[in-house]
Amino acid sequence: MSNLIQMLKPKTKAQTTTLFAWALIAPAALVMFWIVVWPLYETFRLSFTNSNLGTLMGGAEFVGWENYEKAIGGRKFPAIVTRTFYWMFLSVGLKMILGLIGASLLASNIRARGILRALVMPPWIVPIAIGCFGWLWLYNGHFGLISNFIEMAGITDGPFSFLAYKQSAFYSAVVTDVWIGTPMVTLFFLAAMQGVPRDLYEAAYVDGASRWYRFRRITLPQIMPTIVSMALLSAIWTFNSFEIIWILTEGGPRGATTTLIIDTFKTAIFSYKFGAGATRAVLVVLILGIFSILYLTVLNRLNNKYGYAGVRK
Amino acid sequence: MSTVKLKNIYKSFGETEVLFDINLEINDKEFVVFVGPSGCGKTTLLRIISGLEEVTSGSVIIDDKDVSNAPPVERGISMVFQSYALYPHLSVFENIAFPLRVAKVNEKELEEKVFKAADILQLTDRLDFKPGQLSGGQRQRVAIGRSIVRDPKVFLFDEPLSNLDAALRGDMRVELAKLHQNLNTTMIYVTHDQIEAMTMADKIVVLRDGVIEQVGSPMDLYHNPKTKFVAGFIGHPNMNFLKTNATKINKGKFSANIGDSEMNMPIDAGDTKSGDDIEIGIRPEDLEVSDKGGVPMRVDVVEHIGATVILYGSVLDNDNFCAVLPSDSTIKPGDKINITIDPNKCHAFNSSGQSLQRS
Repeated sequence: MSNLIQMLKPKTKAQTTTLFAWALIAPAALVMFWIVVWPLYETFRLSFTNSNLGTLMGGAEFVGWENYEKAIGGRKFPAIVTRTFYWMFLSVGLKMILGLIGASLLASNIRARGILRALVMPPWIVPIAIGCFGWLWLYNGHFGLISNFIEMAGITDGPFSFLAYKQSAFYSAVVTDVWIGTPMVTLFFLAAMQGVPRDLYEAAYVDGASRWYRFRRITLPQIMPTIVSMALLSAIWTFNSFEIIWILTEGGPRGATTTLIIDTFKTAIFSYKFGAGATRAVLVVLILGIFSILYLTVLNRLNNKYGYAGVRK
Repeated sequence: MSTVKLKNIYKSFGETEVLFDINLEINDKEFVVFVGPSGCGKTTLLRIISGLEEVTSGSVIIDDKDVSNAPPVERGISMVFQSYALYPHLSVFENIAFPLRVAKVNEKELEEKVFKAADILQLTDRLDFKPGQLSGGQRQRVAIGRSIVRDPKVFLFDEPLSNLDAALRGDMRVELAKLHQNLNTTMIYVTHDQIEAMTMADKIVVLRDGVIEQVGSPMDLYHNPKTKFVAGFIGHPNMNFLKTNATKINKGKFSANIGDSEMNMPIDAGDTKSGDDIEIGIRPEDLEVSDKGGVPMRVDVVEHIGATVILYGSVLDNDNFCAVLPSDSTIKPGDKINITIDPNKCHAFNSSGQSLQRS
């Protein structure tokens, strides 16, 4: 015992400093361990058990890869993964395009742009649930504004319930997700655009470059790092976007809006299959991890080869 | 053939008026320098010529064509910015090629032009670098390269050397002068540094508070400043001023007391009457130390800069008096010396700052 204490005792000044540093980090590290590492480990462990409502008091058994085999081999799984990626690419793509357009407009020298900039924020400021309930009413067939308008315009000849049909429900959810997700993207792009030195635009203007040319060869490459990181963040958030879909459709109708995260929730919480749910959660982490690594690798390659935005170096 | 004419140019930003009735003619192949303290409107005037800023009234005429409302690209100008305005994401090659790409010049001609510009500016081995990997002087040259490839009628430079260190600035001054000889085009150059103006210009335009104070060749401005402002601005170290008054007028010339001695100035009195306030200006390099007579000077600071010695101290009412002496001078701080002021080398200014004519 005294040997151990002797071993742990700091011998040099450097060791004292190191020990002190560890002591300072310890509280934060403990909290991180408690709220991040441990739940991750628990999820991972659960995914290999048959834990369910019946085993809450104990008795869950280790079942090896069974949950994974069932999940991946499941009839619906390929469709859900495809749908999730489609949902992600569509929604993120729209957010990026709308964000770029919005930021360009807000960055231009227009009257009352302070007010306009503030007006971009509400979808993001309003709590997501409240916004979604608003959209729920808009999409409503009998009382909904949209249904009413398109009926008045003669496009439909009766009430149309957007969330009642497979396709319309999916795209309605995309619209709402884009509505909520765009303001932040816009503001980040706007901030990045404002960081581009004015001189660059003036120099290009003197050389006769059109607005579009300046946007393509100055703005885009200059804000590309922001676009790249926002696209990745947005992709992860959208992939895992839960409350919007849940409030609008609960993953329906007939699974048309069930993404991986909805499937995870349904399995783990609605069907009380904690083990199988945990398996899906682990799969989400894996898929997103692989996606992120691929995304960054490919972009890095493209960047090395062509420079940002494919502009010749 | 490329001349620039500015006619009755006024410019205001909202309520703030920055330029008043600017009239100027710039001849073909001339190197013209706009010089003045910060806020005098020189950069605004350059931006008006470039087309980056619109005139409030008046006209810009390049080669006898009124371009007041034309966009920059139609004016046949190119501009080098104070910050260089290089595109950080593009290589040196692409930076120089940028205007040609905008103009959709074919690849072969483009490469030819870029290589030629790079050759003139000694950038050939830097073409694949990004601006961030270059030194200040090299970045400056890339910016110049970008304006060369367009073969502009008029080159505009907006304080291009102000971000460089002193040694490099000296080198670049020489290079720019050479470039002007090589390219043989009209150049308009803005600076707040009168040394740059004196060394490079064919013609200097001194601006102050949005008004042209004086236009002339460097030596003309040095020897015959029209106002006290120009006299104080041109020349380094600055001209010394001593307040006094005209004691008598004799045959159109006046006399004035400097210290205890009355001097007859070889300067036309003009409207000046006996007793009027007068300021005498004398350049530091025109002063001599004398054993007796002259005006007493208390020396505060002595700067040995090699070829000369610069003394700072007080003479009469002026506490920032400066004298330049030969380098063998042994004067120390705290010394009390006498300096002689040669009336033939004096300038005189009336109470409104106008120069009195020397004869």
